[in-house]
Amino acid sequence: MNNNKFTCSQNVRFIFSFFEKSNWLLQKKGTSNNIITENKITHQSVRNLENFLSHRLLRIADMVEILQGIHGEWITTEKNSKIIMETDTFDFNDALAILKDNGFTDDEYVMKIEYERKWGML
Amino acid sequence: MSNKRYSKENGWSDLVKKEDWWAVWIGLFLVVSAIIFWLSGNSIKYISAKIPKWTNINALFSSLGNSIGSIILLFVVFLILFSIANLFLHYKFSDFLPSFIVLFILSVLINTFSAWGVSQKYNLESPLVALALGLIVSNVFSIPKWFESALRTELYVKVGIVLLGATLPFTLIIKAGPVAFLQATFIAVSTFLVIYFVATKLLGLDKRFAATLGAGGSICGVSASIAVGGAIKAKKEEVSVSISLVVIWAVFMIFILSAVIKILGIPAGQAGAWIGTSEFADAAGITAASTFGDKAITTFTLMKVVGRDMFIGIWCLILSIISITKWEKREDGTKVNASEIWYRFPKFVLGFFIASALLTVLISSVSPSAATVINTDVIAPIKDIRTWAFTFCFLSIGLTTRFKQLTSIGWKPFVAFSAGAVVNVILGYLMSILVLGSYWANL
Repeated sequence: MNNNKFTCSQNVRFIFSFFEKSNWLLQKKGTSNNIITENKITHQSVRNLENFLSHRLLRIADMVEILQGIHGEWITTEKNSKIIMETDTFDFNDALAILKDNGFTDDEYVMKIEYERKWGML
Repeated sequence: MSNKRYSKENGWSDLVKKEDWWAVWIGLFLVVSAIIFWLSGNSIKYISAKIPKWTNINALFSSLGNSIGSIILLFVVFLILFSIANLFLHYKFSDFLPSFIVLFILSVLINTFSAWGVSQKYNLESPLVALALGLIVSNVFSIPKWFESALRTELYVKVGIVLLGATLPFTLIIKAGPVAFLQATFIAVSTFLVIYFVATKLLGLDKRFAATLGAGGSICGVSASIAVGGAIKAKKEEVSVSISLVVIWAVFMIFILSAVIKILGIPAGQAGAWIGTSEFADAAGITAASTFGDKAITTFTLMKVVGRDMFIGIWCLILSIISITKWEKREDGTKVNASEIWYRFPKFVLGFFIASALLTVLISSVSPSAATVINTDVIAPIKDIRTWAFTFCFLSIGLTTRFKQLTSIGWKPFVAFSAGAVVNVILGYLMSILVLGSYWANL
């Protein structure tokens, strides 16, 4: 389809939460979701948290690197323990495909799509 | 528009970064200003710039001469308000100023035409004239780029709807809202299902595409297409086609519905309800309803804004859940969240409710004689200012609807969408005219 004939623009937003409770991580003992909410924090809880976060942040870094490698126009910000990458010049299906090809599952990120009408549309 | 790129991540900054909220601020500013003027013993009518009826050139020059001060004041007020909004929405003032001057002049011409005795005698309704003129100009000639900046259809219609709220008693909204919701929901769900099943079962289109088409044809047009398309992660081409179909049908329906209503002699209240059920976009619906007067605009707004627009967030949430649980599994990072309901809620509707509540409380707290003054010095001028906002809207629709810029559609989406549109119109007629006709006529 001729790109000039699109009546909307697409904004893709990847949200990588530091504390995403990914299924693959949950399988590791001691990294379940009670790390943060546990009432009795012990030194082991803190070590588990460190382990969880170091794995998680590495995964995030890998995903950011891949996405920035295939497209140069991301707006990348940090907010409330999340890394947010946005662009409106890259199709979300292509981004999903490359993450999947590199072994990332969709419970490791949240992806939001926003369409915006192009100028002049009712 | 500015070339800078800004994060669209939502938060409190949405209050100044989203056009919907600016419609609320501008509308409520005008309403509150009207109230303050009244409280201080003055009136906002000095800027309402109502052009009196005229029948000959001398009367025209006389009435324009008498109104020129308030016309200029109104221009300045609108220019300031829209320019402030543009600052936060990243539109350049240097582009907007000349464009808005031209738009305002055209609006003066349209409203002057509307006040002409001949046009009133032959029912040459200014909304349709403005629309037709705009369509011809934009599709035959080439509109300069600098003129596009002020053609903000959605902003103007939303400001107009917020101002409309101030002219409707809140008690009416409470009373008629549930009826509008029930009628609109019945028809919207029926229309959606027709489009969805024709698209998927008969024509073999993708489910997400079908749902996006269905949303556009049943809920609130382009807004619904982009909201649902985003929520269920439809492809850009699919959303684009849906928008094109909505635009084509919405403009077509302005003329067709208006003509049929006139031919059948349908009363204004019923006409507005039918338009509210069967039009796809607020701007297009206001254009059609405006040809039938205030009562039609009232019932249209109750049906379309209160009965349909408000619930887009719920539709998005439901369709998101269905897309994850019932359709084929996709690895697309969708996390369904009830906050979607608020996120997708059309914020300008809040302004509509607040404006209505403000005036209702005000009128109910004063003496009958003071209430009469409020009607003439607050509500009537707000109505006139609203007319100007809608005139900007009518012109903008026509001047921005360029059929050759629409996405090529393909016959399958057209057939699916059209099937729903036909069902929608028929059901809308049945419910608005036959089943609930006396309700809407006597509202």
